[in-house]
Amino acid sequence: MERAEVLSKLTVIFRKLFSNDSLALTNELTAKDVGGWDSLSHMLLITEIESAFLIKFKLKDLNRMKNVGDMVDIIISKL
Amino acid sequence: MFKKFILQPFIESTKEFERNNAFCINEKFYTYKEFAESITKIRKALQNQNIRSKNIGLVVNDSLETYAAVFAIWLEGYAYVPLHPQQPFARNIKIINQTDVDLIIDSSVKSGFTASAVINSSLLAPEGVYLDPKPTPVDALAYIIFTSGSTGKPKGVQITRMNLGAFIKSFLEVGFHIDQNDRCLQCFDLTFDISVQSYLIPLTRGACVYTMPYNRIRYSYICDLLENHKITFGAMASSMIRYLRPYFNEINIPSMRYNILAAEASPLDLIIEWSKCIPNAEIYDFYGPTEATIYCTYSKFAKEGSNKHFNGMLSIGKPMNGISAIIIDNEKRALSKNQKGELCVFGDQVTPGYWNNEEKNAESFFEIKYDKIVKRFYKTGDLCYFDEDGDIMLAGRLDNQVKIQGYRVELGEIEYHARKFLAGQEAVAVTYPAQNGSNEIALFVEGELFDNYKLLEYLKTKIPPYMIPSKIIVKDKFPLNTSGKTDRIALKNLTQ
Repeated sequence: MERAEVLSKLTVIFRKLFSNDSLALTNELTAKDVGGWDSLSHMLLITEIESAFLIKFKLKDLNRMKNVGDMVDIIISKL
Repeated sequence: MFKKFILQPFIESTKEFERNNAFCINEKFYTYKEFAESITKIRKALQNQNIRSKNIGLVVNDSLETYAAVFAIWLEGYAYVPLHPQQPFARNIKIINQTDVDLIIDSSVKSGFTASAVINSSLLAPEGVYLDPKPTPVDALAYIIFTSGSTGKPKGVQITRMNLGAFIKSFLEVGFHIDQNDRCLQCFDLTFDISVQSYLIPLTRGACVYTMPYNRIRYSYICDLLENHKITFGAMASSMIRYLRPYFNEINIPSMRYNILAAEASPLDLIIEWSKCIPNAEIYDFYGPTEATIYCTYSKFAKEGSNKHFNGMLSIGKPMNGISAIIIDNEKRALSKNQKGELCVFGDQVTPGYWNNEEKNAESFFEIKYDKIVKRFYKTGDLCYFDEDGDIMLAGRLDNQVKIQGYRVELGEIEYHARKFLAGQEAVAVTYPAQNGSNEIALFVEGELFDNYKLLEYLKTKIPPYMIPSKIIVKDKFPLNTSGKTDRIALKNLTQ
């Protein structure tokens, strides 16, 4: 799967979870840029991503996700 | 006591270990020398102000200057009132007005607090190091921390220097040996008093404090800190640990020597599993309301053998040194063993009262003869009993006790059985008004639930019919409040 494809799939998940239809994902986007992105929503986000891409993250993967770009890299490495 | 157990040992740390790290904040280290310099420049800035109120507002950023301001305020004989930059501005203004704050220290580049006098602590010029404390009476305040009131109006808990000194003394007497080689976790907001334990213990022993930055995903960041920096000492809330549960098999922190569970009741089954992730740690469960200065009772978790619990929650153990505990009935009479009532505590750690709140003070404090002397006790609002050995079992909040069809119901009992059936999944029971106005019980289950019916059938075998929830609501994850505890109020709102 291409980065662009991963990103567009992620966009759908993010927009739904944060109830924000205009949310645009960039590689540099971090938790502090998105209203409501806290521990709880992060946990839900992880669960959504895992089921959408049929992958499973390890805690080490979570810790490496400093921004959306990292997230995409890690997802691709698991596909 | 404040001087002996806090200021003096801290000042000695800054001299003896000046090249050692005092803080790791957002992956950046600061030495004791740098910290002492930061304190001094803020202190000088305070001296240059015309200060009327002894309560200084402190915007609690995750910055060296924020922690330095705490000590600058103390050395000058004042008290701090933490203001959280992420809490609603209107709430902070209410706190400022309630506590007569007319000066605020803020390390933000652009302070949002423009109405009052503001010291921008990140823009001050160096002034060398000067840490001699100004003579200050022990009944002067150290801080005022606000706790939410059941009526919605936050209450300011005033903690004196004596209260805090007495806490540090008793805490160390539990048997924690922390020195300059320790690396200590500070993952609580400064608006929550466990933060005070988390930074003071290391700083008075020359150890390094590792803080939790805002805007980071708390549970994964904490785990990163614990592993990467080989943390040796840290207090955590059980909800934080619950977030890590799916990853327990990946977590191994042999460096941890002491792990403190605080802030909320600790589920025994969760702690048994967690203890395997920190194989070399002694685990302690601490209990205490802000009104009695951070903690007032504790028990040590036994890795081998059994641990006392009530409804699956660890016993909160025995009072710390200097604390007396009694359990009373509605008529304020002391109860004997195995009788449930309200836990009340007395001792040097107990607050002189809520700031400017006579009504609440009259409700929450009372005098009773104890050991032949009349003493002033604080009513915790927690329902407890002493077991045969004098260990205290926490049976829930008094206000968590509800009436259903006229029967007294402990929501904790329903939760206990539900959790048991769910093999450790979290379950929280709340009441909600049914259409006819009567109180009903809703049970929230965290995670997945395949068969509501089976859960109800199981509950029916354990509890009387009036305690059976009329609604089961499944949530992927429970919301947490700003203190990191399961947010029961938010869950309750979801029943409507």
